[in-house]
Amino acid sequence: MANQKPGKDNFTRNLVIAVVVGVVLIMLVPTLLSKQTNTSAKIPASVSAERGYGIVFNDELKGVPLIEIYEDFQCPVCAQFEKLQGDYIESLISAKKATVVYHTLSFLGPESINAANAAACSADEGKFLGYHRALYANQPAENTGVWSNDVLGILGQAAGITSKSFTSCVNNMNYKGWVSNAAAAGAKANVNSTPTVFINGKEIDRKTEYFNADKFKAAVERG
Amino acid sequence: MKKFLPWIGLLSRLILGGVLLAAGLLKYQHLDKSQMAVRAYEMLPIALANFLGIILPFLEIAVGVLLVIGAAVRISAIVGGVLMGAFMIGIAQAWARGLSIDCGCFGGGGQVEPGTANYLPELLRDGGLALLAIYLFRYPQSKFGLDRHKTDGDQSNG
Repeated sequence: MANQKPGKDNFTRNLVIAVVVGVVLIMLVPTLLSKQTNTSAKIPASVSAERGYGIVFNDELKGVPLIEIYEDFQCPVCAQFEKLQGDYIESLISAKKATVVYHTLSFLGPESINAANAAACSADEGKFLGYHRALYANQPAENTGVWSNDVLGILGQAAGITSKSFTSCVNNMNYKGWVSNAAAAGAKANVNSTPTVFINGKEIDRKTEYFNADKFKAAVERG
Repeated sequence: MKKFLPWIGLLSRLILGGVLLAAGLLKYQHLDKSQMAVRAYEMLPIALANFLGIILPFLEIAVGVLLVIGAAVRISAIVGGVLMGAFMIGIAQAWARGLSIDCGCFGGGGQVEPGTANYLPELLRDGGLALLAIYLFRYPQSKFGLDRHKTDGDQSNG
């Protein structure tokens, strides 16, 4: 290096440094902007922005426990949780014994985003709980390409959704902006693993209460 | 001995730069997860942790590329060394406080099952990389780099 002409050598080096730093900054700015909450994004039925863009059931009830569930449809532990506690939670919803908020996070990859978008579409059809169940019952391994929008559209039939509006909503990713808002709200709520369950704003005990039906029930009733 | 120094420098650059570049690219693919990884250390206010989770992969990529191509080696080595120092502090405090987290060093991150976290190899690896950064700060001259060095080899404009 030392025998090259100093001027030329420094010019190349500085140019390279400028290009590297410049490219990284140019990539960083849109990334930062995309993480901002987009308040004009379309939101599905029964979603409340005040409740962290979650899908809410029994919002109007007073004096009942508030159960908030943060989940990612691709997360295997979430599928176990759904299998063990899903029926109980749905029974609380139908008996109007609790307010339940589903926060569909999407940090496991692109197919989580597809699934969260499709779940939002099912909420518009009034079939969120059935579709939620169908997704977990048919959960593939993470990001193996199984959950394309075509497959997610067909999966609607398992929840009794047959309308054209559902498949077009899934294929057009109508709720992509909402999915990203829900993810940002999960980040603000300091959710560091899935599933995470808050009851009346407090996380239940990770060691004992998630995967024991009796203890989970006790935690809900304790409020 | 002197004539081997540039080769050691090249090796150090490629290892430290390559690791940073790989770590940055893996985090860049899942920025939500990267934010989660930083939050899980429970050291920073949530908003700051979320911001850092986005910035960090970009910083690692930039420093990694500069080290691999050998431009601004001395400054890059300082940044790389400071990053490794910060990672070691983060991992050590998580260990000391008994947190069960994935270090999120190469993507991933967040809480893990209690008892499955394994902090010692991560600390040793980051310690080794920090030593490479210190070496490059002290002897920034290396083979096939873009930085120009005075013939006595000890000074650098990086």
